Amino acid sequence: MATTLGKNTPILVMIAIITGLLTFSFINSNGDFGDFGITVLSGLFQGMLLFLVASGLSIIFGLMDVLTLAHGAYFMIGAYVAYDVQHPGGVIDLTAAIPDPNLRFPVALIAAILVGAGLGVILERGLLRPLYSRPIFQLVMTFGVSLVMVEIVKAIWDTTIYSWQDRFGLQESFFELFGQQFSVYRLFVVGIGFVLIIGIALILRRTRIGIIIRAGVEDRQMVEALGINVQLVFTVVFTLGCAVAAFGGGIAAPFLGASNNLATDFLLQAVAVVVLGGMGSYEGTAAGSIMVGLAIAVAQKAAIGTAFTVLPSITPMLLLILILLLRPSGLFGSAHSS
Amino acid sequence: MTTRLIENLRENWLYWLIILFLLAFPFLVAAQTGSSPFGEPRGDRMVMRGESVRWQAVMIEIFILAILAMSYNLMFGFTGVLSFGHALFFGLSGYIIGLMLEYTGLDNGIALILGIGLAIAINGILGLLIGLVSLRLKGVYFAIFTLAVAEMAFIFFGRFALTRAEDGFTLTHVPIWLDATQNRITLYYVALGMGIFTFFAIRRLINSPTGAVFKAIRENEDRAQSIGYNTLTFKLIAITIASMLAASAGVLQVLLNKKVGPELLGIGNTVDPLLMTIIGGIGSFTGPVIGATGLHLLDTNIREATITIGSTVLHVSDFWGLLLGAIFILAVMVFPQGVVGTWIRLRMRWQKFTKSA
Amino acid sequence: MSAPVLEIRNIHTFIGQFHILEGVNVSVPQGSITVMLGRNGAGKTTTLKSVMGLTPPSQGAILFEGKPIHGKRPYHIAQLGIGYVPEHRAIFKTLTVRENLELAERQAHDLEKRIDFIFNLFPAMRQFYHYPAGNLSGGQQQMLAIARVLVPENRLLLIDEPSEGLAPVIIEELMAAIQKLAETSTVLLVEQNFRMASRLADRYVILDDGQSRVEGVMPELIKDEQLIQRYLGVA
Ligand SMILES: Nc1ncnc2c1ncn2[C@@H]1O[C@H](COP(=O)(O)OP(=O)(O)O)[C@@H](O)[C@H]1O
Ligand SMILES: [Mg+2]
Repeated sequence: MATTLGKNTPILVMIAIITGLLTFSFINSNGDFGDFGITVLSGLFQGMLLFLVASGLSIIFGLMDVLTLAHGAYFMIGAYVAYDVQHPGGVIDLTAAIPDPNLRFPVALIAAILVGAGLGVILERGLLRPLYSRPIFQLVMTFGVSLVMVEIVKAIWDTTIYSWQDRFGLQESFFELFGQQFSVYRLFVVGIGFVLIIGIALILRRTRIGIIIRAGVEDRQMVEALGINVQLVFTVVFTLGCAVAAFGGGIAAPFLGASNNLATDFLLQAVAVVVLGGMGSYEGTAAGSIMVGLAIAVAQKAAIGTAFTVLPSITPMLLLILILLLRPSGLFGSAHSS
Repeated sequence: MTTRLIENLRENWLYWLIILFLLAFPFLVAAQTGSSPFGEPRGDRMVMRGESVRWQAVMIEIFILAILAMSYNLMFGFTGVLSFGHALFFGLSGYIIGLMLEYTGLDNGIALILGIGLAIAINGILGLLIGLVSLRLKGVYFAIFTLAVAEMAFIFFGRFALTRAEDGFTLTHVPIWLDATQNRITLYYVALGMGIFTFFAIRRLINSPTGAVFKAIRENEDRAQSIGYNTLTFKLIAITIASMLAASAGVLQVLLNKKVGPELLGIGNTVDPLLMTIIGGIGSFTGPVIGATGLHLLDTNIREATITIGSTVLHVSDFWGLLLGAIFILAVMVFPQGVVGTWIRLRMRWQKFTKSA
Repeated sequence: MSAPVLEIRNIHTFIGQFHILEGVNVSVPQGSITVMLGRNGAGKTTTLKSVMGLTPPSQGAILFEGKPIHGKRPYHIAQLGIGYVPEHRAIFKTLTVRENLELAERQAHDLEKRIDFIFNLFPAMRQFYHYPAGNLSGGQQQMLAIARVLVPENRLLLIDEPSEGLAPVIIEELMAAIQKLAETSTVLLVEQNFRMASRLADRYVILDDGQSRVEGVMPELIKDEQLIQRYLGVA
């Protein structure tokens, strides 16, 4: 199949899966556009959050051959930092300086990004660098870091889950379409997600660092032999990846709350996305995120009132297994990369 | 015959010594602490109270973890196959034996024997099947595939009403002679026997021609393939045996705790053997055993401890995760060859030193 | 001839635990084409990689224009003005020809300044400028690999087996190009094709079993059939 359809197979498979999901969802909504729209928005929302974790994971893996199991913890840290800055009585209390919660939230997000980036530099420079030639040890070490970060979070903040109404002080607003209430914030997150998907794609396509990253995914040594300080690029990419994950946690926090579970939940799903998209392929990760997000939302909707309440949780894994059986290197993965 | 025995004793004296010690262990602790190795009688039942039975439980857990880590090491350390789904076999076998004992209405003894047989057989077949569909995946892809399968099982049993979902169910039909709350010492010897069997079976296997191919695959699969080995077959052998051994560990775990629940399938039961293998020493026979023993003793002894600095009292359990994380990081950064590898290196250095002196 | 641009002094290099280079001495004079000869596995590629710092030597010294470069990181060594054309033409297949060239820039506008020179040398480049490099033929990929080291100003070029697996017509074209390059840079070439090597090079050095054995000027080697027979197995 791969030979006859050649280069376009991944795109065709992807379109087939997404069309299948949407069609099923539409039928499942009994043709009600409002219902259908809610499901699609929810799917895109979840997909974008996944993308924010998975994109860093994927680019870091492609360039550095490092599967960092601490990446979910950066998402979690982002959520806690945003929560901390946002609510009264946090470690950094800005309620007096910026009384309007709606204005404080962007500052909270920036704080999340900065903390994520700072911890990213520390992890890359301090712990990862000595382990570049030992991939299995990187897995163990980053897992250890993830544990440590969860503990640090527990030590600083309560472990209760917080969300919108209780602590963020933000008011969720809605607009009406096809007789349904759509969340403005979700739409906003989806918008940011699309901007980032395209923005990162443009950086990878058009800028010098993008060219270096793509070349580095193919052959790091050769990039270095051309006179480019690859280790510096590693640090930059790793740091940005962590910053994006922390940003993801920050914008997810009003919805999902800040909780320790975010670390593992998002890590596992994001790893599934990266692998089914084809490791090291940015297109694969972007497409995979949206696909998995939609699939989860469709499954959530379909599972309501049935005995299959477990379906949405196992959907990412099911999709992963299905795709790997069809294409052993993932959707957009090249056969030789492993 | 006698010369071979002497030969064996000379080569393996340390192992024999350890085995003898472990055989005597419940009685040694009993003598040392003045407790009974069988627990204390209360009417016609036994109560598991006293140092000896407490330590037996700790040791049984160590045997279980060691078997799990050794089975993991067979795939990862000796064959080079990295799996993130080992908990699947461990947990599933727990469910199989639990279901047999509690849900079939068979006679306890028959249910137990059948359950053990089924748990090991089904997991062997499952390992083979998973290997068949997924071992053509390379490296990380295989690891993540196995993770996905195991996570699905974890999520499924976390919601499965028949097995009481998240809560799981307790075992009330364990035959009394193997009941950890009645005759713990029998379970101790069964687990010890299984541990010894696993250790020597793996050593035998790895030192056989089959084991040589395993190691060749670990060093360079393409090369092993090009000199004419069907590497897939050998990897299938490794995963099948490893999953059966992990299943036996799962059976023991359920018999020890008399409880079946989704946590058996959790990622922790994959990560633990991985870490124990790495900390003990990848691809060595004793490494996983040392890793399992060390980490579990640390867990049981330090976790409940308190540290008093001045007037503040710190409970270790409060920052246990932090400690554990720090141990992983340190182990990887400072002793990348694990305990066994570091020991061998130090010994080599010592020999060089004494020779040159 | 003037002082050597590159001087390799008795280097030893390990790959993992394997002792690959066990004493290699090479001297590359200014403005010359020096060819490194030797059987497969003699250590030629490893010598070039040792110069680039990709497999750093554990002993010995490497001097570039009189200054030691061993122990420096590969990117640093490259930035000093050394261009490396690796074995098997390691171009970036998913990048376009243009991106491959852009990657080699060390300063802004390097490519702009040199592009005409490159197009002159390899006219086919112009046609494939915006294609993924993976679509190029083997010969074109080799040309791209060479063009890549022409983008910045390199005073020394290390070229590893450029003719490997290519058709004779294309080899001729490559030879002409390398000759042209040698007008402005010094070249250390690894070449198995003895005919090509003997026509291009001024000097030779023979490696065997990880050691350099003989060094000299090319015309002498051509006459010495015994030496050729012994180390290279060609007549
Ligand atoms: N990564 C490696 N691991 C082990 N041995 C290697 C490696 N790379 C090269 N070698 C060995 O080093 C020797 C020299 O290789 P190389 O420098 O590529 O030789 P040449 O370029 O002269 O053919 C060969 O025997 C080769 O097998
Ligand atoms: Mg070579």
